[in-house]
Parts: sequence; structure tokens; C-alpha cells
Amino acid sequence: MSRARVLWLTPVLLTMLFPLAWMMFISVQPQAGNALSLDAWTRAGFTLQHYIGLFREAAFARYVFNSALVATLVVTANVLTAGIVGYALARSKNWGSRALTVAMLATLMLPKQVLMIPLYLVCARLGILDTYGALVLPFAVDAFSIFLIRQYVTGLPTELEDAARVDGASEYRILGQIVFPLLRPVLAVVAINAFLVNWNSFLYPLIFVDSDRLRTLPVGLALFSQGEHGVDWGLLMAGSTISALPTLAVFLFFQRQILEGVVAGAEK
Amino acid sequence: MRRPGNLGLAGWVFLSPWLISFLLFGLYPILASFVLSFREYSPLAPQASRFLGLANYAEALHDGTFWRALGNTLYFTFGTLPFTTAIALGLAVCLDRAFPGRTWFRAAFFLPTVVSVVVLSIVFKALYSPDGPLTGVLHAFGLAAPRWLLDPHTALPSIMAMDVWAASGYYMVIFLAGLKAIPVELYESAALDGAGPWRRFVGITLPMLRPTFLFVLVVNTIRSLQIFTEVFVMTRGGPLDSTLTVVYYLYDQAFYRFRLGYASAVAYLLFAVTLAISLLQVRWLKLAGAKE
Amino acid sequence: MKRWVACVLFATLVAGCGSQAKKNVVVFWQFWPTETIQPLIARFRAENPDLDVQVEQLTWQAGQEKIAAAVASGKVPDLVELGSTWFPAFAHQRALVDWTDSSAVLRDSLHLWDMATEDGRVYGLPWLGGTRALFYNRTLFARAGLDSTKGPETWAQLLESCKRVNALGGGVNGYGANSGERYVLFKKFMPYAWSNGGTILSPDMKSVTFDSPQNVQALKFYLALADQGRIDQQSLIDQAFKQGKIGCVLTGAWLLKQIPIDAPDLRYGVCLVPAPPGGRHLSFAGGEILSTFQKSANPSGAWRLARFLTRAENAAVIAQSQKSVQPAAVIAPDDAYFAAHPHEKIFLDQLGSAIAPPNHPEWGRMEAAIENAVEQALYRRLSPEQAITQAARELQAALSSPQASTSPRPQGP
Repeated sequence: MSRARVLWLTPVLLTMLFPLAWMMFISVQPQAGNALSLDAWTRAGFTLQHYIGLFREAAFARYVFNSALVATLVVTANVLTAGIVGYALARSKNWGSRALTVAMLATLMLPKQVLMIPLYLVCARLGILDTYGALVLPFAVDAFSIFLIRQYVTGLPTELEDAARVDGASEYRILGQIVFPLLRPVLAVVAINAFLVNWNSFLYPLIFVDSDRLRTLPVGLALFSQGEHGVDWGLLMAGSTISALPTLAVFLFFQRQILEGVVAGAEK
Repeated sequence: MRRPGNLGLAGWVFLSPWLISFLLFGLYPILASFVLSFREYSPLAPQASRFLGLANYAEALHDGTFWRALGNTLYFTFGTLPFTTAIALGLAVCLDRAFPGRTWFRAAFFLPTVVSVVVLSIVFKALYSPDGPLTGVLHAFGLAAPRWLLDPHTALPSIMAMDVWAASGYYMVIFLAGLKAIPVELYESAALDGAGPWRRFVGITLPMLRPTFLFVLVVNTIRSLQIFTEVFVMTRGGPLDSTLTVVYYLYDQAFYRFRLGYASAVAYLLFAVTLAISLLQVRWLKLAGAKE
Repeated sequence: MKRWVACVLFATLVAGCGSQAKKNVVVFWQFWPTETIQPLIARFRAENPDLDVQVEQLTWQAGQEKIAAAVASGKVPDLVELGSTWFPAFAHQRALVDWTDSSAVLRDSLHLWDMATEDGRVYGLPWLGGTRALFYNRTLFARAGLDSTKGPETWAQLLESCKRVNALGGGVNGYGANSGERYVLFKKFMPYAWSNGGTILSPDMKSVTFDSPQNVQALKFYLALADQGRIDQQSLIDQAFKQGKIGCVLTGAWLLKQIPIDAPDLRYGVCLVPAPPGGRHLSFAGGEILSTFQKSANPSGAWRLARFLTRAENAAVIAQSQKSVQPAAVIAPDDAYFAAHPHEKIFLDQLGSAIAPPNHPEWGRMEAAIENAVEQALYRRLSPEQAITQAARELQAALSSPQASTSPRPQGP
């Protein structure tokens, strides 16, 4: 059974990996700009020059630090607020909470291209442009994450909470000690998603920040590798490979939490 | 004692982070863009803005290019949704139970998601090129290769295929989390009653997954209807507008022609379409639930 | 826990603050890499000890979003580099400072003034110019039995060269024609139309002159070229040329920088856009303009920096390191650098006669109309005559019922 599963999953897996393997292949080719077509594979070489070039860029470490700091703050804020708000929306069964849910979904339905300039004006008014604040505060509470938690809580049985209420526990205590532990698998998904979105975010960091010392990695990479026409393929692919690693690490770490959710579920 | 399912004052306290953030960062941009949709407004000359009434909306509804873009966007959305959802659910169910190498399979399927869409799009653009590996492999098997991004008939499907590829692993993770909310006891008692794997999937997994399913459907629909980056990097709407999507169209209006008012009107038309489709999806899932 | 998070948030907020521009600082937004622009800025500081310059690099992909947001909020840079494709919108909205009078003294030391002019007024200094010329592969020319020492000069020679190279087979194509993306095809078709005496609008921009036999003839020629080659996206055509798979391609000087890196062994030549019988060698002109905003805090500092940067020897620093552009400053005919770099000299000469698209507020729509028509012909949806007539009809609609308060041309290769 499990062998059959591995057998049919493997080809699917290889298709999934191919474009990424290709990205890494390009990142170690001496003439990376030429490695985009098929016949380049017959005269493949190997070099780490693009990676060395990347680490030689003085600002590279700074960009990585900024990205990591911003992503950590946003992920932490997202996990906390989404858990709390999502739970409240799922458990308050009245028209108000339904209306709020629809309003929240509605905020996702407008393309950011038209919201960006008004949001920029808000940040200017709040005086947070060109600070870490502009990179963190507008994204600290996220409708997508809240909706995800709300849907998850909707599927959870209420017996545990009701039993605690009978015992006289306060709502805050129920949330902190009963609900949050149950949310562990889905909070892990929220963390993964928030990290992903933030770590790769390009447009907002580009527009909300002017100073070089506040730049994040995707913006920095775009600047390193850009030409007026066409890009420095080697540098871009090396940078993309490196910037994919933390996301992968975050995924591997949190998917364990998803896994452990099984154990917690079985014990209750 | 408090009624179960009503949090009272605590409910408002719990909602406050979102309310505060919404009032600070959400409300103004939404209202401002709504107001702008009735005005002529260029960010380069904010002082020259003037009220137009419904003229922006009327212009969009009379513009063949807008309808073309909307058609392409709907085609994209409904052409990818079933595939992405089915693949994500299939993978999640397969990878839910333990078998050797499961972690690595999960990580591998999730991998496309960890690379930024911009870079993925650049890679796929090269992948689809006439000198690229895809064409090369087909030729090696003696097959005729389509012209992918260069043929108005295949350009959009090529981008759709990439989207299914990139998004499935992501929704797989959400389904995996959803599967964890299903009490194991349900499966155990069903197994005792002699239900086979398929019966258990249809009878337990699917109904219990309904909230997650709704989430995936709605969120993926919203995201697909706003498809932009892939088009921006790979085709810029070409050839012959065959990959022109609504958001690319309004982006073009907002930042190449600086008609932010008109772009906002287009955004609100898209909003109306999105809202209608999402409500239909909610209704449909409710009906499907009621039948059981 | 929460208090701790709040502390961190507050601390980072405070840490991020404190970069307010002081007086006598010129904030300069531009597109070139730090290592190219910084030496110039250092030289400027040495010459102007009373001024400091704060440089920020923009991205080609999302530069106009950033500038638009800044203008909307009123927090603008003092000096900004605008692509000629973006310039008309900014000038048309009167967002830029009118430099007509102050720039009069520079009239003879710079050219490409058309790009920086709207409605007869000058809103910036032309800094750098870019054009398109014909690249040809000498190895393929020799294999096809063609004279590999010089490029095709006439339409007939070009078509013949492409035919012979295309006949070599084995994945080799004669010509690289553009399609599959917006804002590019226009720059590849119009050089043939302009060379053939074709025009888009009358000089006063009041009437459409696009529906002409010259343009139909140019389109037929372009289709004939496309038949002897491949139709592809710009970056992929460049790629294929570097790999020695294309005989001739009309493209930009950026290849002069890319070829030594990506394909050092490629044997190639560069020549002017081939001319039709009795026609000229005309190409597309684009470029970079330095402007300052009405709301700038330091317009005089911006002007001094702009004058400094547009000086021939300073613009040459950018041009020589990037290769995709040439200085907009007038270059002496015996300039030593260009004498030693013949390919770049071709681009400089081509730029001298190149044509910038009209700075009309509806231009964005017009360019789309022309591209759409040419592409329809390329995909055999319309005959050349029908395509030109259709484009002319849409151009007329853009003239008689303007929809945009502004419409600049987007940036693209």
C-alpha cells in the first residue's frame, strides 16, 4: 500500500521539482544567461561565482537581517491576532459577526493595485513611511489568516469550551488554555503563510521605504540583478535559491506542528 | 451562566485587534478608492481631480477590452480551480497518514510555494520558450510542440498550468491542517461498521472538511480573479490580448496612464463579480451540506 | 508576552525614524546601480561643497508606481530620472518644473530635446538616449555564403540575408520578429515604417497620417522578414541571437554589454537600420530625462545636479559602463572613445536621426492600437492593408474622443 503510494507519487514529485532544480542549475552556471535553453545542458559547467558575488554585496547581510526582522514580527503578530479574532468570529453566532466576516473577506476582494496609493497616504499621515513601522504595522493583522482560523474553529466541537464554562472559567482563560492548544495545526499554517507572503513581498516594501538600510531582500535582489533590459540571471537565481532556504526551513519546522496536531487530537 | 456560543464582552475584546487595524489601515484605502471610482483622478495631479458620476463605470462597461479581460480572468479562474482543489485534496489525503519519506514528499510538494512568483514566472517563461526544455522534450519524443506563450490559443492555458503547479502544494498544506480537525474516533467507529476507505472518505472526510473546503475555494477564487504577477512577467497581456486579465488591465490604467479613478471603477466591478461568485460558492456548499 | 512584542515594535519604529532630509540636500531618484552612479556623485560633491546628494535607486519594473505614490503624497524627490515613455504624463499634468528659460543656454550642447518637451515647453534635461539598430551574426552570414564583413544596408539585402540564413536550417532562423508581449513590437516595426517615409500623426498632432501606402509597404516587408525567421518575445530573441541561432535582429545596445558576458565567442556586427529604395536609415528613439517636481524642496540644487550629470563627460560614464544608452550631450565627431568602440559609434549615429514618438496625451492608446494591428497581421488575422486601416481608425478615435487626462508610454525593450 505505502510502496504503491511512493511509486505513483514519485513521478508527480519530479515534475514538481524540475523548475526549481533548473533554477539552482542556472545559479551555478558560469554563463548563466545562456543556461536558459535546452542545449546549454550539454555544456554545463559549475561555479559558485554568483553566490560569492552576492555575499560580496556589502548590503546583502543588511537586507537579509531586515527581511528576517520584519517577517518575524509580522508572523508573531499574525499568529496571535488571527487566533484570537478568528475564534471570536467563529463562536459569536450573531448577525454582527457574520457581517464582520463578510467585511473582512471583502477587504481581500479589492486588488492591492488600487489600494496601494491610498494606503501610502495613510502611512504618510501616520508618519511611518520609511520606517520598519510601514513594513510591519499594516500587515500585523491579516484577514486571510483570520478567515482561515474562523473556518477551522467552525469545524471544531464546542464540548471542551462548554465544559470549561460550566466550571466557571473566564472566556480569556478558555481561549488561552483550551482553544489555542487545539489550534496548533492551523496556527502553523498561518505562520507558514504569513512568513511566505512577507518574506517574498516586493511591491509594498519597495514603495513604503526609501532608505537603503531599511530595504528587504526581494527589493535588494531586484536592484542587484536588474539591467535596463534583461537581468543578471546568475545573481538573480543564486539570490532566489538562497532566499528560498529560510522559507523551506520555516515550513519544515512548522509542518511538525501540523503533524503533532494528530497526537494532541488522539489524546483528547 | 453565559449561553454557549456567545462570548459577550470578551468577544469584542477578541475582535479589537482586527477592528483597530481595519480602522487604521483598511477602511481609508477602501473608502478612498470607492470615492475615486466616481472621479477623474491622477496621482500626478491630485488637485485637478473632478467628479464624474458613473462615467468611469459606463466607460468600462462599454470597453471591449475590459470585457475581454474579464472573460480571460473568469476562464483562468474556473479553468484552474477544479484542478488545484482536486490535486491539493488528493495530495493531502495521500500524505496525511504515515509512510516512509512522508515529510520529504510534503516538503517537495510545498517547494514551488517558497519561491517568489516573480522568479517562478521568469523560470516558466524560459521553460515555455521555443528553445526551452518543454519543447525540446516533446520534440525528442517526435511530438509537435505548441507555441505556448506565443500562440493566442495556448498562452493563457500555459499560464494556467503554471498556476495549478505552483498553487496545489500550498492548498495541500491547508487541507492537511483541516484533516487534523477530524476526530480519529469517527474513522475508528466507521471502520468497525465495516466501511471501506472510499466510504470513509465520502462519508466522513468530505463532510468534516467542509469549512476548510469553503476556505480553499473562496480564497483561491479571490486570488485567481486577481491574477497579475504571472501575466506581468510572462506576457504583459499578449499575444493579441489573449492573456490580458482584469487586474493587469487596471494596473495598466492606473500606473501607465495614471487614471487611478478609472482603475478604481474597474476594481469595484471586479469586486462585485468576486463577491457574487463567493456568495454562490457559500450557498452551494451549504446546499451540498443540507442534502446529506 | 504581548508587552514584550509591543516593546520590540516600538523600538524598531524608533530605530527606523530620523532620516528627514536636511536643507541643501538634493534627493535624487535614479535607475543606475550604485557602483556606476556613486563616483559621479562624489565628483559632484567635490565640485559643489555646499550641496549634499542623497541617491536612491529605482527599479525598472515598478519605478512609476513609486514615483506616482510619492507625487500623490507630496513627498517628492528633488531630481528624478524619467524614462521618455513616462515623461509625457508628468509633463502633461504640470507636475514638473518648467525649465524652458534656464535650459536655453544648453540648447546647442544637448540634443534629443523633443523627448523633454511638451506643448513647446521644456520640463527636463535630456540625459541619455537609447535606440535600436541591426545586429547580425557574422558566422551565420559566412556559412550562408553572404559577405560577413558588413551588414545589410537595404531592405532587399536584409531580406535576402535572412532568407539565406533561414535556409541553413538546424534550428537557425533568419530574422527575429517580436510578439507575445506589449510595448515592444511598436519599437521594432516603426523603424521600417519611418525609414519608408511613413508617419503616425501630422506634425501638429491634429490629424492621423498612419493610413498610408508607405506604412502598408513597411508592414508587408516586416511580415516578409517574419516569414524568414521566428516570432518571439524580446528577451528570448536576444537569447537566441547570443546563442548564434538568429541571423539578423533589430534590438538595443544592451546586447553590447551582455554578449561579452554570456557569449564571448559570438562573431557579430552592428549596422544602421536598412533603408528601402529612396528611403532613410531611421530608428526609434527613447531615453532618460532629468526633471524636478513642482513640490521639490530644493529645485536649484536639482538644477545644478542635472546640469552636472548631463555634461558629456559625465553622461559618458553611465553610457560606457551600461552600454544600453548613449549620452544625450553632443559628442565631438572625433571622440576617442567612440573611435575605439565602433559598435557603440553605430548606435550613436543611429540615435542622431532616430525618431521619438509624439508626446501626445493619448499616446498610450495609440501605441496599443498600432501594436495590436501589426500583431493581428503577424498572426494572419488581418491583411496588411486592413491592419493599417484599422490602426488608423483607432488613432482617429483617440484624437477625436480623448479618454485620458494623460497617457504615457510604458517602459519596455
